[in-house]
Amino acid sequence: MATAPRVPREGKRGCRDHLVSGAPELACFFLPVPVLLSPTHCRICGETWVLHVEPRHSQGKHLGSIDHDDTERRFVLMDKDSSAAAESALSCSRCGKPAYLQCPKCVELKLPREGAAFCTQDCFKASWSSHKSVHLKSKLANVQSEQTQDGWLYCLRKGQTRTSELPYFDWTGALRPYPISQRRLVPEGLEKPDWAVDGIPKIEPNSDLQNIVEIKTPEQIERMRETCRIAREVLDAAARIIRPGITTDEIDEVVHQATIAAGGYPSPLNYHFFPKSCCTSVNEVICHGIPDARKLEDGDIVNVDVTVYYKGVHGDLNETFFVGEVDEASQQLVRCTYECLEKAISIVKPGVRFREVGEVINRHATMSGFAVVKSYCGHGIGELFHCAPNIPHYGRNKAVGIMKAGQTFTIEPMINAGVWRDRLWPDGWTAVTSDGKRSAQFEHTLLVTETGVEVLTARLPSSPKVFPWLNS
Amino acid sequence: MGNDDDDAAPPLAVRIGNEPDSNPPERSYRSQNVQQGTSEESPVGVTVITGYLGAGKSTLVNYILNAQHGKKIAVILNEFGEEIGVERAMINEGEGGALVEEWVELANGCVCCTVKHSLVQALEQLVQRKERLDHILLETTGLADPAPLASVLWLDDQLESAITLDSIITVVDAKNLQRQLEEHLKSSFFPEVFLQIAFADVVILNKVDLVSQEDYELDTSSILEELEKQIYNINSLATVIHTVRCQVDLCKILDRQAYGAKNIAHLEKLLEDSKSTFSRSRHDDTLCTLCIYEEQPVDLDMVRSWLEDLLWEKKSNMDVYRCKGVLNVLNSDQLHTLQAVREIYEIVPARKWDQGKKQMSKIILHSFDLIRTWTAMQLRIHAWRNLMYVVKLGKLRMEDG
Repeated sequence: MATAPRVPREGKRGCRDHLVSGAPELACFFLPVPVLLSPTHCRICGETWVLHVEPRHSQGKHLGSIDHDDTERRFVLMDKDSSAAAESALSCSRCGKPAYLQCPKCVELKLPREGAAFCTQDCFKASWSSHKSVHLKSKLANVQSEQTQDGWLYCLRKGQTRTSELPYFDWTGALRPYPISQRRLVPEGLEKPDWAVDGIPKIEPNSDLQNIVEIKTPEQIERMRETCRIAREVLDAAARIIRPGITTDEIDEVVHQATIAAGGYPSPLNYHFFPKSCCTSVNEVICHGIPDARKLEDGDIVNVDVTVYYKGVHGDLNETFFVGEVDEASQQLVRCTYECLEKAISIVKPGVRFREVGEVINRHATMSGFAVVKSYCGHGIGELFHCAPNIPHYGRNKAVGIMKAGQTFTIEPMINAGVWRDRLWPDGWTAVTSDGKRSAQFEHTLLVTETGVEVLTARLPSSPKVFPWLNS
Repeated sequence: MGNDDDDAAPPLAVRIGNEPDSNPPERSYRSQNVQQGTSEESPVGVTVITGYLGAGKSTLVNYILNAQHGKKIAVILNEFGEEIGVERAMINEGEGGALVEEWVELANGCVCCTVKHSLVQALEQLVQRKERLDHILLETTGLADPAPLASVLWLDDQLESAITLDSIITVVDAKNLQRQLEEHLKSSFFPEVFLQIAFADVVILNKVDLVSQEDYELDTSSILEELEKQIYNINSLATVIHTVRCQVDLCKILDRQAYGAKNIAHLEKLLEDSKSTFSRSRHDDTLCTLCIYEEQPVDLDMVRSWLEDLLWEKKSNMDVYRCKGVLNVLNSDQLHTLQAVREIYEIVPARKWDQGKKQMSKIILHSFDLIRTWTAMQLRIHAWRNLMYVVKLGKLRMEDG
């Protein structure tokens, strides 16, 4: 089932392109009045776009194109009459006649309407050469102000774009994205996976290992052990600094530094453009949260998902931590999730079907009144970050295959306090619960042995004792 | 509209009073509830249309798009390929409606750790942003093997997707089918024309009017009969429909629910007496339909193990591409249905056995023998060997042809 991610095509997404292919000229042609194109913000990147009209809606209706992210692309019908032109008492900056139009650039830059209003496109065109200098001045001022913010911006398009404004979204809970810091650097000479430079994995999607579950050689297994141990130590380092007031970006800094100090590369960094070195998923975030400037608050739960690439193999694990004093319900959710993973691991041995994992997790979560996330699953791991098998965490799945000694894969149940459904934030990564209720996750990288299972990312005696149920 | 301040031409001026608010009005976007609502409705069926080059796929698609059927059908056109990120969708707006073209964008993102393929996500988006969509047709290229597509679209019910794989329709050219099949029998690999027929739930035998024009000794009806027999040899459970220029009753090809566990198409056909279902195959050294039949109740665990050995562990030289069956399970009053596409299989209780009707198990395997030199006899023996431990409990009887 695991299939090749598609190679992004330059210029084939985004509203700019859409604007071009949507042919605004055509729209104008069909309109009874001179120019009725009205601007709207691209809800994803914040850029201004012009609503256009399609021929079939030329009967006085605007078919607007609101830009899309990976999850959605909607068309909005707007009434022609809904925006009365006559409300403006401005006069044309060139000829002094009543003005009905304004410069879209000024709108985009939020510049005053005065001096940017025109009666017709012709007057606007005639004034353009002198008028446009206004934009440049304002832009220079903007650049300076952005620089003072030290490059902290909101993430868009899976990490390929940034914006200074909070994107629009019908947020499902109380949590909001915060600006993210600039990309962290890795030392020269470090062994990197092939996506480190341009964000695109090349070997992984086309590998046979997307269909065949590899039996690792003893040599590969030894490398996996080393890498997984480093990953565990990196996660433990992150766990030690978690407390109210710490930002998730600071957690990312710790993960990043600890990983490169051990000679590893933080696998998530630039994987399909993921902008950071680990995932931090707070409260209603199910997984793939991007470390940002938000300070952890007393009562939050936060999952830190670490993957390390070292000696040519990946090791992947995550844990959900308590920030300060956490309410009883959240404690139960986190504990239940921990138990789900424990119970799933306990059945792992040669001869067991991969589909059984989901049955075990589903049974335990449902019994506790929680729901299992279905959109994300466990995966094979080794020289590839993600490969066969796919291991769903929900029951009654059709997963293919039987466990065999020498296979390595992750199990990483995500359990929700409310409904199982997830939605994606405009950043293209952050998966949140659709009802805004909390979600927890735990993950280990496992090796199937002749007699059972070895948890490659198991807790160490030195691991911080942050889970009360492990202390007794 | 990036850094174009130096451009000679100004952008289009915009209407005053229409500048955006920092918070766009909520009504502009479909709310969360609406999205959820979509999933609660019955999912939109997806029919995959395959067919060899020139068989008449486009004719069928155009016919469906332009016919007056009052249904709103989206057709995802042809260009399903690895490197293409955007698909073209034609949507028939239903009664008297015009054709509308839309782009369906396939996400470029990481699909490794998500359960749904980007194609599924794209189709779900298409369903969500349309007020009402009755059906989706997916036209494949003439050279496509339907198996990967079927595997991707055959979703777990648990995912409660807004789409569901309805069936696979294969269009074949009655005039050229014979030649195509014979040519490929001589070659050393199994080409698409076989795979497409093998996977089909419905085979549209198109251009039947052109058959008689050829200089055949036989008359039209016996030629068609022969072709139909050949199709059944490859795929005994397919429904064959004769058409001229793909003029077909849409009721016969849409909403077949061939992949539904409860309404498994051909269930009745499966329950028929086995003898009448199969004719002897002429190509049984390479591809065959095997029927396993048993009257005694079978042990579900053993059937699973046997099937997994066959489909996953490849413990035979058979390459099973499609499997359907009904099972009379030990200690259960439920009729169980079995389905498999390549490695993916599912056994689910469907309903109670009808009172008074004979309860039995029957599994039909459509498979290729990977080693062409094997004779039908060897294949039979081999299959028998694999069945032995199921036989221990259920005393399964196998029939070949």
